[in-house]
Amino acid sequence: METADIRKLLKQVYDPELGINIIDLGLVYEIRNEDGDVYIRMTLTTPGCPMHDTIAGGAERLLRRQPGIRSVKVDVVWDPPWSPDKMSEEAKTRLGF
Amino acid sequence: MFLLPFLFIATGLVSFALFNITTLLQFAGWITHQPRSPAGWFHVHLLVLGWATMIAMGAVYQLIRVVLQKDVFSRTLGYVHYVLYTVGTAGLLVGFAAGQAQWIAIFATLAWIGIVLFVVNITLTLIQAAEWNLITLSTSCALLFLFLTGLIGLLMGLNFAFQWWPAWHERLFYTHIWMGTIGWFGLLITGFSYKMLPMFYLSHGVSNRTSYVVLFLWNAAVFTGAVAFLTAAPIPAVRAAVGLLTLAVYAYNMHITRIRNARHKKSPGAGVLAAVYSARALAVISTVALACTLFAPERVMDERAIVIIVWAYLWGWVALTILGYLSKIVPFLWWTHKYGPHVGKGNIPTMADLLKDRCVAYGLAAIAASLVVQIVSLGLNNMVWTQWSGVALSLFSLFYVCMIAKVFTR
Repeated sequence: METADIRKLLKQVYDPELGINIIDLGLVYEIRNEDGDVYIRMTLTTPGCPMHDTIAGGAERLLRRQPGIRSVKVDVVWDPPWSPDKMSEEAKTRLGF
Repeated sequence: MFLLPFLFIATGLVSFALFNITTLLQFAGWITHQPRSPAGWFHVHLLVLGWATMIAMGAVYQLIRVVLQKDVFSRTLGYVHYVLYTVGTAGLLVGFAAGQAQWIAIFATLAWIGIVLFVVNITLTLIQAAEWNLITLSTSCALLFLFLTGLIGLLMGLNFAFQWWPAWHERLFYTHIWMGTIGWFGLLITGFSYKMLPMFYLSHGVSNRTSYVVLFLWNAAVFTGAVAFLTAAPIPAVRAAVGLLTLAVYAYNMHITRIRNARHKKSPGAGVLAAVYSARALAVISTVALACTLFAPERVMDERAIVIIVWAYLWGWVALTILGYLSKIVPFLWWTHKYGPHVGKGNIPTMADLLKDRCVAYGLAAIAASLVVQIVSLGLNNMVWTQWSGVALSLFSLFYVCMIAKVFTR
């Protein structure tokens, strides 16, 4: 599976409070797929985000169910910290900015 | 961890419903009567211990894990705390309603042991995490004042029963109220707001400097007030405490304005907006209280004036903030429990689907409007309007709490 396809899949994982997917929020920093071993480096909008386990776990569960994916590792990092300018224009519009 | 915060929050919601039902059954009559009476004690403690403190404890169990990304020190201790505190509070309320001094003594002790277990559990959690920031520092101070409020309440009860130092009864009474309302609720709400407000406004890059000033001033106000009441100091000491608190509230409001200015989300939701507006209202309430100490010092310790100020503080800020935050805390708790494990497995509702923001806005606006009428009526000593607005306040509150509880069915 191409990283572009994984990126597209991850659009199904939403921040349940904001109602915006993690790709449009700019939370996913890196996607790698090495022969079915997928590595995701991502962040959350704030350290100590209440949705830490739900969002990271959701991304992992979603990818594990895909054919051709053997293992999934999701790393939640705080460096570089997330900032609002990482959001897509669509996300900004939905948040009223 | 779902069950522990859920137990506290669900019990708190039931207590709030009970408070409003008992008020409605009396056509809000107890509000117009002498506050230092069995009915007054019953209702105030049902609101403060059965509802506000119960919800606050549930929120601590839920949010401390979020803030520290670590589980609470002991869940078992948390359940023991729940049982002791709930049984203690329920017995204490029956004791107040029946005017049974022995019941009050036994169950107040049980409730206080519950509080001690809570304080120990959260303190050990904080020590283990060793992550000292504004939120954890503010929570620690709030816990200290909760412990002292309970201790002073117990001392007051024993002193009343055994008449050890009759002259100290009033001193302990005012210190108990001051530490509980300003110390425990004040520092917990401001502390949690440093997390909640930026999170829901999606604010970034706001300096914490002002909030450290709030923490310092707020603690100074609690300490000065406690010393003033315990030593029966003259009015200037009380004025200093109220002045420090007013400064703290202004600084808190400044910090909120900075968070709002740095927001990246147009609306944080009606519940969070209610918390913001009630903080603005608190600035007005504290300014009025300070003006009273300056221009009408002879009325400061007048029972009626105290009832109005405490009622405005408890309902206008503490209750409205808790009710507002509940509209976020309850959907989060339920959504994480029910839908969290299904993320990435198909279509699931968002949190906004569990509770309509428009309904929250209408509910909170109706509660705030009836509260304003009630406070004005109390100020004008108009008992008919006080009762009617009390009925409206309880009706709207009951509607609101049912709406929040309905989230658990979605």
